Formats: sequence, structure tokens, C-alpha cells
Amino acid sequence: MADPRGLNRTQLLLLFLVLTAGIATGLAIFTSASRITSLLQTATTGIFLPVLLALVTSFLLEPLVRYIERTRLSRTASIFLVFLLASAGLYLLVRILSPHWAEMWQSLRTDLPRYIASGITLLKHGQAKLLEFFPYIEGYDLSARGRVLGESILTKILSQTTGSALRAGGLMVLVPLFTFFFLRDGQKIIRFSIGLVPNRYYEMAHDLSWLISRQLSHFVRGRILEATIVGTVVWFGLSITDIRYAPILGVFAGVTNLVPYLGPIVGMIPGILIALVDLGLGGQFWWIVIVYLLIAQVILDNFILIPILISHVSNLHPLWVILAIIMGGKLYGVLGMIIGVPVASIVKIIIIEIRYYRRTFTLPTGVLETEPPG
Amino acid sequence: MNPLWSNIFRKKHDEESLAFFLGSVPVFSEMNARELSYLESRVHSRTYDSNETVFSEGDPGSGIYMIRTGVVRIFSHDSKGREIEYTTLGPGDFFGETTLTAPAMRAASARTIEKAELIGLFRADLLDTVQKHPVVANKILIGLTRVMSERLQAAGDEIRRLEKNIAEMLATEAS
Repeated sequence: MADPRGLNRTQLLLLFLVLTAGIATGLAIFTSASRITSLLQTATTGIFLPVLLALVTSFLLEPLVRYIERTRLSRTASIFLVFLLASAGLYLLVRILSPHWAEMWQSLRTDLPRYIASGITLLKHGQAKLLEFFPYIEGYDLSARGRVLGESILTKILSQTTGSALRAGGLMVLVPLFTFFFLRDGQKIIRFSIGLVPNRYYEMAHDLSWLISRQLSHFVRGRILEATIVGTVVWFGLSITDIRYAPILGVFAGVTNLVPYLGPIVGMIPGILIALVDLGLGGQFWWIVIVYLLIAQVILDNFILIPILISHVSNLHPLWVILAIIMGGKLYGVLGMIIGVPVASIVKIIIIEIRYYRRTFTLPTGVLETEPPG
Repeated sequence: MNPLWSNIFRKKHDEESLAFFLGSVPVFSEMNARELSYLESRVHSRTYDSNETVFSEGDPGSGIYMIRTGVVRIFSHDSKGREIEYTTLGPGDFFGETTLTAPAMRAASARTIEKAELIGLFRADLLDTVQKHPVVANKILIGLTRVMSERLQAAGDEIRRLEKNIAEMLATEAS
């Protein structure tokens, strides 16, 4: 190390200038880097959802495209055919359901405040009863909290209907477009990105990517099919009773069923609340509870669907489920809560496939050890 | 004419195309032009520097490599870590075909001796082909089986010859 006293003034000045310049450059790079990442972040905010939905749709349509492709049609032609079939099916579905839905949506908007008010009175009753047993929770105003929550949900639903319609319109354009290209060029995109891997690890990367994408498509297809079946069963189970909004409740139960453990519970809350308010405690109410709990969850989901459709490989520990829901919710709100768990399962599948691969084979131990000098 | 322009309109010679090369590999000799052009889209062409490891003994193996250009050395290590060379392969040869259908570890190492272009076909591609184009997959599998049975036959003959030699040696020793 040089002694600072050995430096003359010019050298000291030079050192000072160099250090200052270095620090300034570092700061400039740091700020511009953070600006670039923030720019990237703003640029990609709208992209995440359509890309994810398009990926899911392409996973769903892939078997159909493959099936048609076998009849010696080109891939692009088969994709167009599948798109035509899918859009025709969707159009028919919308055509059959739309008058029904619009009417139901309108009446739900007027009914919702009533349901929330009744829910709050129920909460109040419950708290009064609880107070008899546990007097020390007096300070905690459960019903007020419930009212604030309910009102915020209500205003959100009322104010965001137009906004979400606009967003849905954007999705309707972007999702089919992305899906088309994922279906047509997905293999090429994967091939290209794997092609960037160095020679030494190319074979392994190629093998792993195939294993992972196979597991992923199984998982996505299984989950979506499971949610659809559960939703349909809830819909039909509820339409036997006099309850209103059976289709919406069925769809809600199906969507929330994508989240394990917590999803089914959240999915049955509105149904049970509406049943309690509209039908009261009677035979029909208990039938609805049975539909939600026993038929849809225990018999159908646990004993039939999950063992058939979903391998236990992707099972997450409840702790991870809760963490994924919280983190997803922080990132993307309600939507993040729904997709957080599937995304976490996907990460788990990837890790498990890599571990399985490592156990079956020994990984190559680095290029340096195996390569001779020269 | 400017050589830059004259080249554009020249059609690629059949002999230069990847499909033609694939047709010359014994495993794919049964396939017609249409099937070969499909196969062309499934295989992976990789360029290697000289002295670059393709795979080492004990690596997870998942496919066959065909040599388009260059020379590859197949070898393994003895207990003292010295290299024992099995063979040196040139253009048109292929190696690693045993792991195409059954996942197994590589039984030997492969390293390029000079700059090489290798064409790889891996298990994932074959399994995809089985689903999408069963006829092509069948032809690949028949070609693969034929090559393997020829090798098995040769190996069996060799074992019998060696056994006979040993028996003769033991007989001369006893007498």
C-alpha cells in the first residue's frame, strides 16, 4: 500500500478527481439502471395477464391442434380450424347465456347491498352471542369492519364494471393473437432458446425442457378441467333449489377452486350467504351446503377428480399455498391470489423434474474438469 | 456477373442439404424425401470446436449424434484415469444410438478432434414424432432396431469366438 504522505498535491488532487468521477459514474449507472428497470416494469404491466391467459389457452388447445394435425393438415391450418371451432363454440355459449346473464348481472347489482347488509346483521348477531361467552372481545367491532369491507367491495364492483369491460375487450384481442403464435411457434421459440445453451449442456437442457413442458401441460389441463367440472356441478346442484344466481355462483366456485385449501371455502361463502338471506334456514339451505361441501368438494373433487387429473407431484404444502396467495395478492390483487398458487405449483414441478433428473443420472461435473487443456 | 448475385439464384445441391445427409445415415435409410424433410425440422445441428467434449462417460444420455463434418474420438478412462480409445469416427458415422429409446448413462466419452458439425436427434424429439407422425417414428425405430441387431449379432459372434479361444487355451494348458 502506498503511503498517502508520499503523494504530492497534484497526485492527491488526481486521486480525488478519479474517485469522485468513479462514484459519480457508479451513481449515474445505478440510477439509470433503476430507471430502465422501472421503465421495463411499466412497459410490461399490461402484458403479464394476456400472456398468461394465452399460455393457458394454448396448453388447452394443443391436444386438439395435434389431433387435427395428424390428418396431414399443416399446423397453421389446424390452428385456424381449432380457432374456428373454439370461437363458434364460444359464440353459441354466449348466445344461449347472454340475455340471461345481463339480466342476472343487473339484478345482482341491486341485490348486492341487501346481501351485504344482511351479512352484517348476521355478523352482529354472531358477535352478540360471542360476547356472552367471551366478554373481553368487546373492543373489537366486528360488524363495522364487515361493513367497511362490504362497502369497499360494492363500490369496486360498481365502479369497475366499465373499466373491466374495456380491459376484457383488450384481452379478447390480445389473448387469441398470443395463443395463435404460441401454438404455431411455441416449439420454435423453445428450440431457439434451448439452442443458446452451450454444447456441453445442450442435451440435458433439451431433455429437461421436454419433461417440464409435458408435466406443465398435464397440470394446467388437469386444473382447468377440474375447475370446470366442479363449477358445473355446483351450478346444477344449486339450480335444483330456488336460489338465484346459480350460474354466477357456479362460475365463482369453479374459479376459486383453482386455489387449493382456501379457494373452495371462499367459493362457497357467497352461495351460503345468499341462501341464508333469501331462503332462510331450511331444507334447501342444507341441500346447498351439502352440494358445496359434500358433493362438489369431498366426493367429486377429493375422491374422483384430484386422483385422476392431478398427480400428487404438484401438491403444495398448505403453508406454501398461503404464502403464494399472499404474495400473489400483493403483486396482482385478486387475480394474483387466484394465479399465485398455480404459478407456485409450476415452480415446484420444475424443481421436482430437475431433482428427479439429477437423481436418475449424475449431472456432468462442470466443463473444466472434463475438458483437457488445449 | 457479380458473384454475389449469381449465388442467390443457384439452387442448393441435393448433396448439400441436411435431408440428403440424413438419408445417408443407416438409421434413416428407409425414409423417403418427404419424411426426411420432416426429420430435418426435428434434428439439432450443433457446431463444435476442436477438442470439445460432446459428452462424458456417466452423463445422462438421451440421443444419437451423427457426424456431418469433422472427426470425433470415442474413448473411456481406465482405473488409473488414462484414456483408452475405442474408435475414431468421421463424416457419415453416428454414435450414442443406444440411449435414444432407453434412458441410460453414456457408456463412453466423446470428444471432437477437429472442428465438427454434429447432428443430434434426442429422445424428446422421437417421442413427439411418435405422437405426431407415427409412420416416420416407425421407420426411425425400425432403422434403429436393424442397426442395433446387427451390432448385437456382431457382438455375439465376437463373444463366441473369444469363448472358443479361451476353451482352446485351457485345453492346451491342461494337456
